[in-house]
Amino acid sequence: MSPEHGVAAATALTNYVFPNDIHVHWSLMIVLYPYITGIVAGAFIVSSLYHVFHIESLKPVSRYALVFALAFVAFATAPLLNHLGHPERAMSMMLTPNPTSAMAGFGYIYSAYSIVLILEILFIYRPTLVALKQTATGFKRKLYGMLTLGSDNVSEKSLALDHKIIAFLAAIGIPMACTLHGYVGFIFGGVKANPMWATPLMPVIFLLSASVSGIAGIIFSYVLIKTFTGRFIDMDCVRTLIKFLWGCFILDFVFEMLELFSHAYMATHHWEALRDLYFGPLYSTFWIAQVGVFSVIPFVALGILSLVKLPDGVVKFFGSLISLMILVQVLLMRWNVVIGGQLMSKSERGHTVFRPEWFEKEGIMVSIVIMLLPIIFLYILSKVFPFWLDDEPAVEKQSA
Amino acid sequence: MIRAIEKEISQDRRAFIKKVLGGTIAGSLLLVIPAGAVDLTGIPEQIPGMRGDTAPFITKKKFAFIVDITRCIGCGSCCVADKNEYKVPDGMYRTWVERYVIDDEDNVYVDSPNGGLDGYQEPREDIPHPTRDTFFVPKLCNMCEHPSCVQVCPVGATYQTEDGFVLVDSKRCVACGYCVQACPYSVRFINPETKTADKCTWCYHRVRKGLLPACVNVCPVQARKFGDLNDKDSEVYNILHQPHVVSVLKPGMGNKPALHYVGLRREVV
Amino acid sequence: MPEYKSKPYSHVVRILLILITVGVVGVAVRAMVLPKSFGQYGHYRGTAIEDEMNRPIRNGTNASCLACHPYIREMHMEGVHKTVSCEFCHGPVADHVKDGKVIAGLPKKQGKEIKRLCLRCHNQIIRARPKESIKMISMPQHLEQKHVRVDHNCNQCHNVHAPLMWVKEARAIVGVGEDNR
Repeated sequence: MSPEHGVAAATALTNYVFPNDIHVHWSLMIVLYPYITGIVAGAFIVSSLYHVFHIESLKPVSRYALVFALAFVAFATAPLLNHLGHPERAMSMMLTPNPTSAMAGFGYIYSAYSIVLILEILFIYRPTLVALKQTATGFKRKLYGMLTLGSDNVSEKSLALDHKIIAFLAAIGIPMACTLHGYVGFIFGGVKANPMWATPLMPVIFLLSASVSGIAGIIFSYVLIKTFTGRFIDMDCVRTLIKFLWGCFILDFVFEMLELFSHAYMATHHWEALRDLYFGPLYSTFWIAQVGVFSVIPFVALGILSLVKLPDGVVKFFGSLISLMILVQVLLMRWNVVIGGQLMSKSERGHTVFRPEWFEKEGIMVSIVIMLLPIIFLYILSKVFPFWLDDEPAVEKQSA
Repeated sequence: MIRAIEKEISQDRRAFIKKVLGGTIAGSLLLVIPAGAVDLTGIPEQIPGMRGDTAPFITKKKFAFIVDITRCIGCGSCCVADKNEYKVPDGMYRTWVERYVIDDEDNVYVDSPNGGLDGYQEPREDIPHPTRDTFFVPKLCNMCEHPSCVQVCPVGATYQTEDGFVLVDSKRCVACGYCVQACPYSVRFINPETKTADKCTWCYHRVRKGLLPACVNVCPVQARKFGDLNDKDSEVYNILHQPHVVSVLKPGMGNKPALHYVGLRREVV
Repeated sequence: MPEYKSKPYSHVVRILLILITVGVVGVAVRAMVLPKSFGQYGHYRGTAIEDEMNRPIRNGTNASCLACHPYIREMHMEGVHKTVSCEFCHGPVADHVKDGKVIAGLPKKQGKEIKRLCLRCHNQIIRARPKESIKMISMPQHLEQKHVRVDHNCNQCHNVHAPLMWVKEARAIVGVGEDNR
């Protein structure tokens, strides 16, 4: 008998899962949680590219990206709360955060980041909101009154102060967005008991995939909204976004593969279990879907879109299509990391199975609803915060 | 002949129970008993000097738990006792017994059907090579000196007492499941009834009342040992201070388990 | 130059006030809802130790069972099964006695259940058991060897509490010596 055959036979038969590892504790909800926070962090980075790094061609989406981030950040905790056995005790994370817990910081990092995001939106939109208040009536007027904090002052002096604050918020926002998502990666990367998660590359991969999903989300929704509302699409902006998406995706994909490659190359005793996982239950979701279809195709296509001069229509269509594929890629990556990591028993002698149900507390239907909530909220936000600069009320144009 | 003896015994026993329940014992048992719990009056202490000590931490004794895998017969008594003590929901295991089979090609086969709760009635028949060695390994909480679960618990619901017990506060646990992921030994689970994290406590409540952990108490072959390291005559002291093949699980994790195994093999994870 | 009702920085001041208020309210709420004993000994609720200490005990010891069953005690404690737990076969004493009163009878294993229970420990074919610690038998070879019907149950020859009691008594009566194990 060849040694390979011996190993294969042994691993097939010794499939031993610790009795408590048969059940996968972190369900679809924990797949969605890093997915949503990733989109938030990525969208914020797009906005910062304009506000901090002054990439002028991104101006058309700079405000929209912030509102987009807000729509998602508002529901980042929804899957977590649904997952908790005792959601009514969730505030304990804020009240008694354990300083040694990698998870305990989330409440504060998330809250601080949400505050920065909301403040940045309020300051950037302030002149617009002040102008809108003047024409609004009833509830909307009250709402604008609140959002402008009762101030109608859009004098040059006041706006100059706002600009300083915006620059400050955007500047601290970038490290915070990176912290938020790098940290989410660390929640997994810090679990030493799980050899699939416990790699220092985990925060890096999470951060890169966050940037990728945020940029892709902006491209896709920008083209979609503009197309359906029959408005002008700034192709320069789309092309710039695609270039950034390509750049981030190169890093993201390379690091994802590098992580796997180093496991395989070093071939420690963990690799035997990991290999069984990647070529076993994860074969279709990892190799075929995540890598084969949703990474290789966008990887090549983004290169072509970025380097070859193509007609606007082609860039628009394929740019948004590839962005959608990237969004799926990141979701698959979250699945393969979160669920995949739990499929492997800590016995490292076998793996369990996980099949989500459609109708259960943490099932597929609930996941779809949770993913729809930010989109619905984004629509509501669009009624309050005009996304596009060409929607500006006349007053703003005069003052600008 | 045999039948007659049996009959006699069962008749006598019935008569005795009637007599006893009529008076003597019933009278003395109206003391403080929590509902559904065992009354301790009349049960001799298995660990002397524990009763009456309600200080938050155990100071006089230093407890050690040792599993001797050279003695375990895989009967599953410990699993049964544990399930009864805590009403552990089906499919969750505070303790379990694994069966190891090693063939002459160095392949290791492990199984633990229903955590060993039903015992091992059948031999493994799916092993292609002749068997070199077989043995049983009981598993339970390792009571780490550096517990990963305590490190990762975001709300301080799982904690380590000053006497080394790692416990769960079910009134504060949010059931995020981080401790379940972090435990290298997979001894934790989310109890579907309380919706909180749960795990073996080395029967802290029994120990504090002077009783041995339920699994230690029922083990027919003394494969599970629990004792005081401050007592130099104790079996656990002897095992940990004299030459023995003693080790801990996954030492590379750096958790420093307090649970020691006698006769541990490298194949065991 | 338009006239503004608000000062150029009034919104900034208001935002700061809101943030401070949120912070103060947060600290106040924390002080109110935090369990008193939290942090007493470490980053946990100190009284949780007491809660754990007072968890109901459900399994007794053999002593707690045998206190009320002296005849069984006599058999059980003299036989080779003296280390076997009563509650392993019969269930926890908390299901049997509550507040000093018998609340329910504990199940007695019957028929094939008994055989299954015996074989949890004594089944030779499982192999993994150290030979020196307990006696192993193979089924049905053991029954054939002893010249009894193969559908015999273990407890027809062995008293479950003292497995060798009847065997020894029968030998004494019939006068048979220890011929084959």
